[in-house]
Amino acid sequence: MDPNLLPPEILDAERGFPQALEACTDLDALMRVKGLYTGRDDSHAVRMMELLKVAPKEQKRALGAAINGLKNLWEEGLKARQGELETARRQANSLATSWDPDLPPPLPTRGALHPLNRLMDRLIDIFRPLGYHVEEGPEAESEANNFDGLNIPEDHPARGSADTFYFSAHKGRLLRTHTSPVQVRVLQRVAPDIERLGGIRFLAPGRVYRKDEIDPTHSPMFHQVEGMLVGHDIGMQHLKGTLAYAMKALFGPGADVRFRPSYFPFVEPGCEVDVRCPLCGGSGCRVCKGSGWVEILGAGLIHPNVLTFAGLDPKIWSGFAFGMGVERTAMMVSQTPDLRLFFENDQRFLMTMGGLD
Amino acid sequence: MLIERRALNAELSAINDLGTVELCELLASLGFPVDAVEERDGQVVLDVDVTANRGDALSHRGLARDLAARLDAVQAPIPRQILPEGAMLFPVRLEAAACPLYATAIMELGLNTGTPAEVVSFLASMGSNAKQLPAVDASNELLHRYGHPTHAFDADTVKGALIVRWAMAGESLVTLDGVERKLTSADLLIADEGGPIALAGVMGGEVTKVTAATRHVILESAYFDPRVVRRMAHRHGLHSDASYRFGRGVDPAMAPIARDLLAARLQAWAGATLKGAWTAGALPSPSAAIFLAGPTLDRIAGEGIHMEEAALLLGRLGCAMQRDVSTLGVVPPTWRHDLLIEEDLAEEVLRMRGFERIGSALPPLEGPPHPLSPGYLQGRDLARRLAHAGFHQTVTLGFMSPEADAAFAKVDNPAAGRTLGNPLGQEYSVMRASLLASLKATGELNLRQGAKEVKLFEIAPVYQSTPEGPAERQVLAIVWAGSMGGDNYLTKARPVQAADLLGVAQDLGAEGLQEVQQLAEGMLALEIPLSLLPAHAERIIPVFKPFRRYPVVERDLSLLVDLGQSYRSLEMAMSSAAVEVAGEAFLGLGCVDVFRHKSLPAGRQAWLVRLRFQASNRTLTSEEVDGWLDVVLRGAKALGAELRG
Repeated sequence: MDPNLLPPEILDAERGFPQALEACTDLDALMRVKGLYTGRDDSHAVRMMELLKVAPKEQKRALGAAINGLKNLWEEGLKARQGELETARRQANSLATSWDPDLPPPLPTRGALHPLNRLMDRLIDIFRPLGYHVEEGPEAESEANNFDGLNIPEDHPARGSADTFYFSAHKGRLLRTHTSPVQVRVLQRVAPDIERLGGIRFLAPGRVYRKDEIDPTHSPMFHQVEGMLVGHDIGMQHLKGTLAYAMKALFGPGADVRFRPSYFPFVEPGCEVDVRCPLCGGSGCRVCKGSGWVEILGAGLIHPNVLTFAGLDPKIWSGFAFGMGVERTAMMVSQTPDLRLFFENDQRFLMTMGGLD
Repeated sequence: MLIERRALNAELSAINDLGTVELCELLASLGFPVDAVEERDGQVVLDVDVTANRGDALSHRGLARDLAARLDAVQAPIPRQILPEGAMLFPVRLEAAACPLYATAIMELGLNTGTPAEVVSFLASMGSNAKQLPAVDASNELLHRYGHPTHAFDADTVKGALIVRWAMAGESLVTLDGVERKLTSADLLIADEGGPIALAGVMGGEVTKVTAATRHVILESAYFDPRVVRRMAHRHGLHSDASYRFGRGVDPAMAPIARDLLAARLQAWAGATLKGAWTAGALPSPSAAIFLAGPTLDRIAGEGIHMEEAALLLGRLGCAMQRDVSTLGVVPPTWRHDLLIEEDLAEEVLRMRGFERIGSALPPLEGPPHPLSPGYLQGRDLARRLAHAGFHQTVTLGFMSPEADAAFAKVDNPAAGRTLGNPLGQEYSVMRASLLASLKATGELNLRQGAKEVKLFEIAPVYQSTPEGPAERQVLAIVWAGSMGGDNYLTKARPVQAADLLGVAQDLGAEGLQEVQQLAEGMLALEIPLSLLPAHAERIIPVFKPFRRYPVVERDLSLLVDLGQSYRSLEMAMSSAAVEVAGEAFLGLGCVDVFRHKSLPAGRQAWLVRLRFQASNRTLTSEEVDGWLDVVLRGAKALGAELRG
């Protein structure tokens, strides 16, 4: 383009075009620039067209080309700038109508399961794949189910009124002192059909009562989870294999178990079961009193007298039983300093200790 | 039981080199966990836990015996001079089978040179002070060292004869602790011609006790039936070191030995001279052989164990054995009262091998697993749903005070049938008829602790008195108190209302209209028997029912009704009118807003009722729905409602 074809004011406008576009901060300003350059009245484009009309004939072709070139340049520049400004406006609008993403969202209100129930449910989940189901029994029990059927001698101190709660209006009715009477009930129920069932295996979770004063480590009501299996040729190795699986499932793969001989009237052999301290992994800490092991279960092979009492032939059937104190385990694992917290039910305790399943 | 390390070493030299931790682990592996280790006057003292069946292990000698068997070590014999048994110097009559054996001696005491320092130190380790009465201190030492309780009477206070017999009604005895004991025919006595002088195996009498002035002593070293001693100790609340050991079973063969040891100590410490020693009765006949079958042992152990090995291990424990091919006939030693059946013997074999050697295997599944019971699943489902809905599960005690119980018990459920005869106290004496009193207390506690909103639930049994005894049924109780909402920019705080709680109950599927109770200002509660809530759904996928695919048409009617208008009757009137004209196309109606304001006519309120229609086979037209609405409105007007302008 020959610059001499165009007047100086047009050339000035052409030079100022990029700054004019840049200076537009909104669409209104851009419209004003657009009017100035390419508008229908009194714009640079209109003035150039008037120049073309009066130009000598031999210049018209070159001048026309120059004018069209300039007009196209301006229109493209204007369009591009308009796109930028429209995008900016959309963004500004959307910020103005949406929430501040930093503002915390309202959460649905959450409650909590009780930690003791949660632990019992977890144990049930753990034993489910081994074929155990859940059996429950009443808290108000007979002496026959709570003691006689479990090979507990008639002069055993646990039967005394210093240890066991008895109902005043019904002689021999008591609050069960362990979940073991569920064993007696279930074995008696299934005994006639045991051959067809192919034995039985179950957990009995529940509340039990003993005459202990309330203090940081005792409560007259607490929870136990009892487990029992009856089958053919059941030995101590089966008890160990089952509890080793369960303790690893509960505490993690490092949770080995250790059997120590012990005595409970309803099992023979009887043992106490230690698990490698879940808190220190066995290196010794406050919870395991430095020994690396914590006592967690009582267990053993079912005493022949218990099987016989229920109507099962101990020559054919054998089995094992185990029992866990739920509070004791929960306190140990959580290092809760005071048993009473579990029965106080402060929502803050339940929220931190219970949670949801 | 306290065990002094030095005295234990004296009973078994093989443990001399064991460290304390090693010894504790060894004891625990034998079934005697050590609860505590402490140092007393330079001596290491272990507090060892002995189970109720192991009366034989309640002494240094007894515990060392088990350790020796495990370590395959030999215990030195008890150092003892055997007293010559002579004629009875006065009659000893055993009139009760509960005392088959009674060894005794008469001694004249000389100059008391005092209890030796090492015995004083040993007794201190055992937590008792030496009395500097040789007969008392020696008896005490022998009890802890060898496990056999003995007794000494002041011979000059005993009249004529020693008789072991049952007490007669009306007899009484002042025991060493100064308490007068009323006796029953179940009390076994040592008596003289004048009456009772000791409770057999439990405690001596005040009158015949040895004092500093005593010149002659009668020694007693006997065997008493453990059950008899246990019951006596329990009945009299008299748990002495002697009754603890006799009650769990001592070794009858130790009776003459312990007498000899006691006599020897009196000779050494008090210059005593023997006047005569004799024994009445005889050792109980040895128990019959127990037969341990090879297959039983193998089953319990989970591996094949040679009968030779079993015999060897049981032999180390003192058992006598007869063998044939696959069965072991075992006669337990006189000190093991706990070995009664073959399973007991199998346990002993495993114990001597070490429980740590027991293998580990999962038992095979013999029958199909049972499903989880509907009752358990229902409770678990409910708890999870409520917890996710913001409620906190509580666990409260099953018993409460009669007053707290009475506030919620129904008239047909008298507390007498649910009351404990021996409660911890009045406030824990009645098995509750309702969970509400417990939840009220828990709710109040949480409010006191500053909770703005309290949402609690519990699933537990409540008790019903019946002629047959207390019966239980599972109930769900929910408590909701305080105000809800207001803790974010979308909701406003408002007090909890009964409708909130009813909504929860309906959502859980509670049938019928539940009764919301106001437990306290702003504290609302519901109690629902689990039997009224839907059981756990058996079918995961229900039977297919076609659902409607055509659009739903909604129409709102703003109705002016009286303030006392029952919503339920208005709903019924409008619904039946709607069903009449629209048939199955009527889906239902609900109140979506209640408006009460002074701008409304006096005594009136406005309800915004939303009706929903949907046909199963076509799209409804506005005209037909408007036509139905006129009919529905007439139904509402019949109850005094009018369309709000």
